[in-house]
Amino acid sequence: MRQAKYGIILYIFLMLPPVVTLFEFNMTIHMHMQMPLLAAAGMLMYPFLKQKFPGFFEKYNKNGIPGIILFLIVVSYWLLPRAMDEALTIPAVEIFKFISWPFLVGVPLRDSWSKFSVMGKNVVLGILSILFVLMAVIYIFSDSQLCNNYLIVEQITLGWAFGFIALALIIYIVQQFFIDHSEYEE
Amino acid sequence: MIKNKHNTIALIVVVLFGIGLFYAGTDGFTAYTAETARTNQLIDDQPAFPLVTLEDSNERTYDFTEFEGKYVFATFIYTSCTDVCLELEVNQAGVYDQIPDEYIGEDIVFLTISFDPEHDTPEVLDKYRSYFEADGETWRMARIPDQEQLDNLLNEFGVIVIPEDNGHFTHNSAFYLVDPEGYLIDVMDYTLIDEAADKVNSILKTEEGD
Repeated sequence: MRQAKYGIILYIFLMLPPVVTLFEFNMTIHMHMQMPLLAAAGMLMYPFLKQKFPGFFEKYNKNGIPGIILFLIVVSYWLLPRAMDEALTIPAVEIFKFISWPFLVGVPLRDSWSKFSVMGKNVVLGILSILFVLMAVIYIFSDSQLCNNYLIVEQITLGWAFGFIALALIIYIVQQFFIDHSEYEE
Repeated sequence: MIKNKHNTIALIVVVLFGIGLFYAGTDGFTAYTAETARTNQLIDDQPAFPLVTLEDSNERTYDFTEFEGKYVFATFIYTSCTDVCLELEVNQAGVYDQIPDEYIGEDIVFLTISFDPEHDTPEVLDKYRSYFEADGETWRMARIPDQEQLDNLLNEFGVIVIPEDNGHFTHNSAFYLVDPEGYLIDVMDYTLIDEAADKVNSILKTEEGD
């Protein structure tokens, strides 16, 4: 249960008001650090939750599809420029952010991931890269300010960050076709 | 299939949740940015133009009641702005040119409000006015010297202005239409000149018919 402990520590750390302020000060850090770290906290808490409710995941996420769809839906929601603005201005949305990222993104992702084949994983990564390329294009080339709480220059930075993540994902997917992983596995 | 019953139920629940989440998060798929959401809200709320004292490019000071009985077609800018504001003002001129002469000054006044009162003195505004061939009478450019009044107006009309370090501002841009009673009745996309002009003209026409 070490992982769960780390997960809870990370979760509490991310909820400390000065940490929240620090992470939300910059648009890119808000989206690419705070949100994924919250998901990571959820992923670390997953083994504990699975042990506590063993039947639940087996029953309702048998083939991993519901979990991954939930993951994709909630991630897509947070890609809306409006969601990020409202997380800063509407307390209910901020609370939803702190609940949804660990428990509706992190937990279902880890549960579903373990149930997927290599092909399934590649499909998910493929969808994510398409989504991120799209976000990169929107954030870099948008003439108007998409988020009222952040400057346009931050918006462009965020767009590039999306682009690099998408690029990394694509490289990862592609390399698998050229490298025989069994050669490296013991 | 029977074996996967719970799995299927979970999938349906998740999809419904997703639709609900997006529906709620975008006001029924109408507003994907906070800006659109706020514009929609503004048009619903129709806030009154608050009490402010304006100082225009001719160094005249007056409050907003100066325009009582007339529509006011307003924009918010700062003159040191090098990109969006210029486009905004060029487009405002584009709307101005499409309004029939008989309405100009009589039924509608164009107003450009600076949110940088420190820098945008009447002299600066006068120079800026000339770039767009605004006459200073039927199209006025003014600042609001009192910062508190200015902030209040920006807040009421949903104009977000974030100062940057180098004397510049990041801000949202739109055409604002205030009715003769001083209520904000429309916030329009500043890039759609013809649409804005058509809208204003049709409002002026119905007014005339009454």
